[in-house]
Amino acid sequence: MGRSPILEMDTYDVIVIGAGHAGCEAAYAAARMGARVGLCTLSDATVAHMPCNPAVGGTAKGHLVREIDALGGLMGRAIDAVGIQFKLLNRSRGPAVWSPRAQADKKLYGAWMKQALDREPGLDWIIGRAGRILVEHGRVAGVALEEGGRIGCRAVVVTAGTFLNGLIHVGPETRSAGRAGEPASHALAESLKALGFRWGRLKTGTPPRLDRRSIDFSRFEPAPGDETPVPFSFLTEGIDRPQVLCHLLHTTGRVGDLVRRHIGRSPLYNGQISGIGPRYCPSLEDKIMRFPDRERHQIFLEPEGLDVDETYVNGYSMSLPRDVQAELVRALPGLEDAVMLRPGYAVEYDFVQPTELHATFETRRVGGLFLAGQVNGTSGYEEAAAQGLLAGINAVRRTRASEPIVIGRDEAYIGVLADDLTTRGCLEPYRMFTSRAEHRLLLRIDNADLRLTPRGRDAGLVSDARWNRFEGRRARYERNRARVRRTTVALDSGERLRAAQALRRPEVRLERLAAQGGLALDIAPGERHVDLASVETEFKYAGYLDRQRAAIARARRQEDLRIPADFRYAGVPGLSREIVERLSATRPATLGQAGRVPGVTPAAVAVIGAYVGRVGGSAAGDEGVCKQHVTEERPRPARAGGHGAGQRGPR
Amino acid sequence: MYAPDDTIVAVATPPGRGGIGVVRVSGPAAAAAAAAVLRDGHDLSPRRATLTSVVGAPGLERALDHVVATYFPGPASYTGEDVVEISGHGSPLLLRQIVEAVVRAGARLAEPGEFTLRAFVNGRMDLVQAEAVADLIEAVTPLQARVAFDQLEGTVTEAIGAIDAALFDLTARLEASIDFPEEGYHFAEPAAAAAEMRALRERAQALLAGARAGRLVREGRQVVILGKPNVGKSTLFNRLLGAPRAIVTGVPGTTRDLLTETAEVDGLPVTLVDTAGIRKTADAVESEGVARARSALQVAAAVLLVLDRSRPLDDEDSALLQETAAADRVIVVNKADRPPVWDAADLPAAGARVTVSLRDEADPSGLRRALAELLWAGEPLRDTPTLSNLRHIVLVERAAAALARAADAADAAAPEELLLADLQEARGALEEVTGKRTADDTLQHIFARFCIGK
Repeated sequence: MGRSPILEMDTYDVIVIGAGHAGCEAAYAAARMGARVGLCTLSDATVAHMPCNPAVGGTAKGHLVREIDALGGLMGRAIDAVGIQFKLLNRSRGPAVWSPRAQADKKLYGAWMKQALDREPGLDWIIGRAGRILVEHGRVAGVALEEGGRIGCRAVVVTAGTFLNGLIHVGPETRSAGRAGEPASHALAESLKALGFRWGRLKTGTPPRLDRRSIDFSRFEPAPGDETPVPFSFLTEGIDRPQVLCHLLHTTGRVGDLVRRHIGRSPLYNGQISGIGPRYCPSLEDKIMRFPDRERHQIFLEPEGLDVDETYVNGYSMSLPRDVQAELVRALPGLEDAVMLRPGYAVEYDFVQPTELHATFETRRVGGLFLAGQVNGTSGYEEAAAQGLLAGINAVRRTRASEPIVIGRDEAYIGVLADDLTTRGCLEPYRMFTSRAEHRLLLRIDNADLRLTPRGRDAGLVSDARWNRFEGRRARYERNRARVRRTTVALDSGERLRAAQALRRPEVRLERLAAQGGLALDIAPGERHVDLASVETEFKYAGYLDRQRAAIARARRQEDLRIPADFRYAGVPGLSREIVERLSATRPATLGQAGRVPGVTPAAVAVIGAYVGRVGGSAAGDEGVCKQHVTEERPRPARAGGHGAGQRGPR
Repeated sequence: MYAPDDTIVAVATPPGRGGIGVVRVSGPAAAAAAAAVLRDGHDLSPRRATLTSVVGAPGLERALDHVVATYFPGPASYTGEDVVEISGHGSPLLLRQIVEAVVRAGARLAEPGEFTLRAFVNGRMDLVQAEAVADLIEAVTPLQARVAFDQLEGTVTEAIGAIDAALFDLTARLEASIDFPEEGYHFAEPAAAAAEMRALRERAQALLAGARAGRLVREGRQVVILGKPNVGKSTLFNRLLGAPRAIVTGVPGTTRDLLTETAEVDGLPVTLVDTAGIRKTADAVESEGVARARSALQVAAAVLLVLDRSRPLDDEDSALLQETAAADRVIVVNKADRPPVWDAADLPAAGARVTVSLRDEADPSGLRRALAELLWAGEPLRDTPTLSNLRHIVLVERAAAALARAADAADAAAPEELLLADLQEARGALEEVTGKRTADDTLQHIFARFCIGK
């Protein structure tokens, strides 16, 4: 499978640069669709590596993983196979915000992923360093390796993570690196810059790792997972790997004192770092300096695997010098004797402003060039994987001149992610939150398959086995809904009413109604959780869901009104120059997207809408259109056209 | 609806002859267009009235008129764009010629409301203010003008913005509880959150409390005058109008059709309807008039039922008292100048009653007061931001209802994401009032209310 990088013009359909979480999904999707795929990575020992938290999922991130799985991607199956602690977050709230999270055995995770990719006959590994994107006539022609050699292809997916001009900081020490121990990519960064993309610089960080054997875990509060793990993948029927504990502890005043004493040696606070870090995942320095009133902060000790000695100190990311880090570790009660295996660090890296992309993740400037993952300013394995999947699908569709697949904000978190990135851009690392999804109540983990598996099937990603299973599950869902509607049940109070009505009461649960007899449900043994949850939620929150669906229907006209690709904003009366510039740069495909471009007022949207509606799709003339922004004639996203019903989800 | 040409022109003063008339030009080419039609290609200094003359087309020598032109450079102008106002003598013909000259210089005719639309689009005013401009222009009573001007000043915008901002803060905290569950606590405690929602709902309700009065001021009310023939209905009509609009004779059945005029009662615009006297009659025209009087009762907000105290009440009077019993009414006991046959206090009927001699009292102030009280219904206009526009009222009601649902759900310990669904709806409704968000077609509907040139 290893391939010599020297081969000249060996043509692939798609070359994926980088084998992290985005790259793996992109390469797998492309290969499943029957494309010839070259997966270019510096080393096949760090496939799907987890350089930070050894975990997958979390609020909203867990939704993304479910959606990736429903579309036919890998991440859900991978974490189910190697997860060593599963927890459904937000259990105290309603099912719309239940999010799975799991600790991964991180070595096994990478190995599982590599194996899955190895099984794809159309996928070759290209071990080498991608140096330059070859572009001919505005379209991708291939990739040149730094070691020499050019490989021809028809589409490229760049998933360079934090490698573009990556710079690692540990106190005053800096070194050029994408991740700990792996050199940064400078040539690729320069090649992309030369294509004219707008850039920014971000920062992220990771905590120190401790030697498990030096920790007395009896000193901490155990943080167990769920007794019955809820898997990520719709295909997983049970979790069989042994489950382990995490541990909870808290910072003390001494930690704050130490940070404040040494803050001048933190690259974050002495001006050494210019990149912008994520506010929602603050470094220890930020926690202490920006929230001086918080008495203590939570720290979780997380194992990185069953037979791995490295222990991850979640909540303790920092870039202070190594000796200060060691002192800070020992300052935590219970870790007085802990041995630090390696220090935490901050990494700065270049990213491409994702407003340079269509919602398909193809760049506007270069046909066939796709970007996915952290290179687009996001943070998180799940966000990266979701982008990789869509980019991989659309890269293949590009080579076949078929319509790209665009997923709407009302269909999936993946759609929210694509729309947010490509219409709003990034000012800080972008992380998914449930609050970003305005139709949150409809985008649940229990219906991710109902929403997306048909889309995955259309794309050619869903295997016959998964499809058959899904069709059975969808049929049960419909049958069970019909039964809940027409069956009368008796409550404990003796009251008799339709199950559909009964479920609206907070205390009435579907599982109990079914167990009491009288309501016969069709439940598959291995899919019990999903079968129950999707039906129950539809009735329990019927009022809310109806209102949200009505809101979607109201917004539909605006969402579906296409703005011609060559629309001249400068010709619309009353638009400020700032708005004209932003819209001309972002080129929203629909009026709905235009409204989400930062700084664009509803009034501007209404005026554009009135004008677009009037002139329709007729050519608005090419004068005044900045040449750099002109995209070549290409098929349009099916979703946004208003006639793309065949591509839409199950609703 | 709005064409993309950049510079627009229209006559801003009402049609018809006047002392002066104003042509308004707005857009990037406003100054250039003005320079082309003003004598000697005047360079107008900003915000300074300049006496010059205007020609019929760019390049012509012969002047049409002496004018005063004022240049307001954007963005500190009404529309936010460059604006030139040309004041000429108020002849419709002359003003049309000036407009044509400006059009020849490159502008186009403005669509109705387009100047104000541009002001809105350019952020010079929000939607409430834009609507207030139309209300102010259409005001016929001083109270209407005051309410509209308050809104133009931004009082409603401010009140709604304050609720929206508090709501934003609350939603942010509730969202944080969902998105950071690992932190293990509520960023907004459920009980406290419910109380906050109730408090915000109270604020929305407080706005709505003045809304009935606000609508009353903005929309006015229709008041129908009913009674038997020759009890003094048309005299009452004329007295309230302050002008002899209806023919008054001693002949019963003089008024045969409905007569409608707008009167001002305590600052409220009241559409008064004078009707034919109710009686059985063989006259085809008169009986049609009686039928119309009865149907006017169906649509009126209030009734002035006129009775003649100098004659005994008969079956027809009783029937009218019955027919109007369910309506808001003032019973006008007329002909107090004559010897009474009965007394107002003896009437076996509900409703305010006023004894009056309409023949002698030119301005029956007691009657006006009674009518005003009836219309205000105990809710006078308050000195607080007043909602008067039905669009705003419906949206604020929707917000209040969503807040109430959220508060009830919070009491029932519903999880945050359900509360947030309602809170987001409330925010959406509030922001639709001011135009921070807009629903489809709202703008077109609003700006279609304007005449050209506003």
